[in-house]
Amino acid sequence: MSRTEPLGNFTAEDAPHYDDVVQCMRCGFCLPTCPTYALTGRERSSPRGRVALARAVAEKKLEFTPAIKEEAFFCLDCRACTTACPSGVRAGEVMEMCRSQAHAFYPLGKMGKAFREFILQKMVPSPKMMETSMLPTRLYQRLGIQWLVRHLKVLKLGPEWMNKAEGMLPELEKPLRPQLPDIVAARGEKRGRVGFFLGCVMTLMYPNVSRNTVRVLTHQGFDVVTPKDTKCCGAPHLSEGDRETARQLALFNLDLFLAQDVDYIVTDCAGCGAALKEYEELLAERAEHEKLSRFREKIRDISEFLVEVGLRTEGLQEVRARVTYHEPCHLCHAQGISAQPRQLIRQIPGVELREMQEASWCCGSAATWGLKFSQDSQKVLDRKLDNVKASGADILITANPGCHLQLAWGVRQAGMPQDVLHLMELLGRALPPD
Amino acid sequence: MISSTAIAHLKEKLGDANVLHEKEDLLTLGYDSTPGVHHLPEVVVYPTTTEEVIAAMEIAEREGLPLTPRGSGTGLSGGSVPVKGGMVLCLTRMNRILEIDEENLTATAEAGVITLDLFNAVAAKGLFYPPDPGSQKISTLGGNVAENAGGLRGLKYGVTRDYVMALKGVLADRSLIATGGKSVKDVAGYGFKDLLVGSEGTLGIVTEITVKLIPPPQDKRTILAYFNDVRTAGEAVSRIIAAKIIPSTMEIMDRAVINCVEDYVKIGLPRQMAALLLIEVDGHPAPVAEEAAGVQKILEQVKAAEIHVARDAEHAASLAAARRTALSALARMSPTTLLEDATVPRSRLAETFSEIERLTEKYRLKVGTFGHAGDGNLHPTVLCDERDHEEMERAHAFYNELYEQVLAWGGTVSGEHGIGLAKKEYLARQIGPGGVQVMKRIKQVFDPQGILNPGKIFDEGDPCTQVHVEEGFRVSH
Ligand SMILES: Cc1cc2nc3c(=O)[nH]c(=O)nc-3n(C[C@H](O)[C@H](O)[C@H](O)COP(=O)(O)OP(=O)(O)OC[C@H]3O[C@@H](n4cnc5c(N)ncnc54)[C@H](O)[C@@H]3O)c2cc1C
Ligand code: SF4
Ligand code: SF4
Repeated sequence: MSRTEPLGNFTAEDAPHYDDVVQCMRCGFCLPTCPTYALTGRERSSPRGRVALARAVAEKKLEFTPAIKEEAFFCLDCRACTTACPSGVRAGEVMEMCRSQAHAFYPLGKMGKAFREFILQKMVPSPKMMETSMLPTRLYQRLGIQWLVRHLKVLKLGPEWMNKAEGMLPELEKPLRPQLPDIVAARGEKRGRVGFFLGCVMTLMYPNVSRNTVRVLTHQGFDVVTPKDTKCCGAPHLSEGDRETARQLALFNLDLFLAQDVDYIVTDCAGCGAALKEYEELLAERAEHEKLSRFREKIRDISEFLVEVGLRTEGLQEVRARVTYHEPCHLCHAQGISAQPRQLIRQIPGVELREMQEASWCCGSAATWGLKFSQDSQKVLDRKLDNVKASGADILITANPGCHLQLAWGVRQAGMPQDVLHLMELLGRALPPD
Repeated sequence: MISSTAIAHLKEKLGDANVLHEKEDLLTLGYDSTPGVHHLPEVVVYPTTTEEVIAAMEIAEREGLPLTPRGSGTGLSGGSVPVKGGMVLCLTRMNRILEIDEENLTATAEAGVITLDLFNAVAAKGLFYPPDPGSQKISTLGGNVAENAGGLRGLKYGVTRDYVMALKGVLADRSLIATGGKSVKDVAGYGFKDLLVGSEGTLGIVTEITVKLIPPPQDKRTILAYFNDVRTAGEAVSRIIAAKIIPSTMEIMDRAVINCVEDYVKIGLPRQMAALLLIEVDGHPAPVAEEAAGVQKILEQVKAAEIHVARDAEHAASLAAARRTALSALARMSPTTLLEDATVPRSRLAETFSEIERLTEKYRLKVGTFGHAGDGNLHPTVLCDERDHEEMERAHAFYNELYEQVLAWGGTVSGEHGIGLAKKEYLARQIGPGGVQVMKRIKQVFDPQGILNPGKIFDEGDPCTQVHVEEGFRVSH
């Protein structure tokens, strides 16, 4: 959905397509699904309103005003509106484009720019730098937060963000990437060979989750190939409106994974999965179509993959637990994967799935949104936690590190008893010992 | 241009968050779901109480601003578009359900309550509020009352009007009106309540609504039938009704829609079929079983090409899938979706389809038609591109000629979407100059200054309001 010709009052680089905004018929079906509209009740903070603003800019009825920038960053990019829209409009993606437009119209100050370049263009793209030159804790604080606070003018931050950021950090182990062998062999009857896309947040903050993902895959009969050079998928860059760095990362990963001899490329991070599936569009003018579609055909979220190939359940051990499932936006709305995680949960012997209300409603994390708008985020989170409470489950399952951080923190803050686990950790508990 | 003192006053009375006047807000509150109409207001207010409604109206009067009431802006005739600028009074923050009276079987709610929220709240108490417009998950009760909205269950259960028992509101002179009550019978004087239902925000601002509830049906059967020609489908509809069976739902889709849905979701619909009917009967289990058998028999008699009777709830949902996805499938086909609501006496159903087919060819358009067959209420939907002026003109010529015929058959130019901006001219054709005159006189009595939703339903001779469809935005300042 990007273009390089000028469109109305947008700048030429990475403007939304006019077709994408004209497609909105203003039916309003997206309104009740939008968390920011629920917060403010203000039309301009709704998908329909946001698309109308973008359209007004495209039709030169409006300049790219600060309010549009504000709306672009206030949008959670949760894509709930995409699921609800009968007309195929993708308001979240239009806002993603507007974020990159915002940088063109409202350039950061010198310091801000330097920081931004350092974090997004040097640090995150280099897995080595992320692991060695800084401890993850410090990294996490610097990445995103301090920089965001000081240098992005959209932020109306109180002092609470720092505590929240600190409080959210899980107990950190060593990053997984250097520990994981390049190839882990399948067990039992071999069914194939998959490439594992190990995301940055997963290796740094949830090594135990991805370790379980690899265990599950091998137990299911797949060789797991983890290319060590894998770079960030580009999602943080898209979310901050730095599409160019995102493209460079995407190009790198594209070639890296196509060079592996694998049947599928699997990830356990919903955010990475969504970004990888969008390479086709992101790189439309930068890579050969054939390569892009070959890559696209191989990408699977782990739960999508396991259901597609069929979960081998023999040998699974009983896990006595009542669980409820929170759907990550980037899984259910961005990738349309909703039934598969539930099916896997039901296939684990002993597990009782208790559906919560509004399972596909955002948890309020949304990359750095939860830190930028911490009070709003708390309201979105509270709504989620109430639903978790009402489900009567003792384990809360999710499938994305952003949700994981937010939910684990929220549950702790609220003094709730639930354990928060990634679906692969739950499945890992059912595996026979290695 | 509204003065800054007036803005300050409004904020003082209603609170900062309930008064919007930045251009970005005005831009996003000057449209509804009607393609091509858009106009900026000068200020938008969100009253949370009746007192605040009155306070806002007082300031509007001082500033000489006309008032346009607004719910969720899902209207399909331009009703909440502020064509004369002024103040938009958005009722969505008056959204409390005040009472569910299980003894009298009524519910009372503020005008901004979302239709589906009321449905769910009464369902939780084992009760049923039947009006279910396609927009129910976001439309407001106030908007439903103002448009007298219908829905899929209209044939058996009626439309919004049939459930409104009492209304409270504010008239143009800021006097309060309360009409109707919880008594099932009420013949005290003129039926104001009935006048306000369907008045499209031109006679008063509705703030509180009391609706009738009924016990929910205990059982339901779903039947799907395909037909080789639309005439047979029309005949099936007539025969079912003649057999004294009133289904709760009797929805029709033509070949174009069947194919659009199949293109979109690929669920194996038979593309060659001319029409499908989705029929649901509900009520007590015994009569439901009998009625379902009756429907099935009639479908066999008229020789429907395929008949599917749902085995269970899951199967029923899969049978209803095509109808449920119809709008999405159509809306994705083209940038602009023109959704109309021509309505004819049931017996003219098949002829109407033939007429639509003929006009589709004549005007070289892409048209899909679905609708509430039992009510004779069809949605011939033109799939077009508002940037293509020539195509838009053909689309309007299409509707023009279709409505001509619909009127000749004794039908109506609007079954449920209202007149608003989009159909003023058609209304004049339907009811004639005498009819329009009477309506104007009624309007005069309620609103002598013409401040409530000016420019809607009929023209007041101001060329500025004689817009029907127009591309892009109209910006008033
Ligand atoms: C996809 C889609 C499907 C639809 N399906 C149906 C359907 O099946 N049946 C049907 O009947 N309609 C349908 N509609 C049309 C529309 O949803 C209804 O007319 C609905 O009642 C409008 O409610 P709203 O809250 O959006 O009102 P708005 O669009 O905001 O306003 C509609 C009119 O009511 C007036 N109004 C609003 N609130 C008040 C109030 N409190 N007091 C006085 N006047 C007021 C406004 O001035 C305006 O004239 C559909 C629309 C869409 C987009
Ligand atoms: S649901 Fe889609 S078409 Fe409808 S208003 Fe929202 S974005 Fe527009
Ligand atoms: S992506 Fe989420 S927050 Fe953004 S407009 Fe859509 S529903 Fe609202």
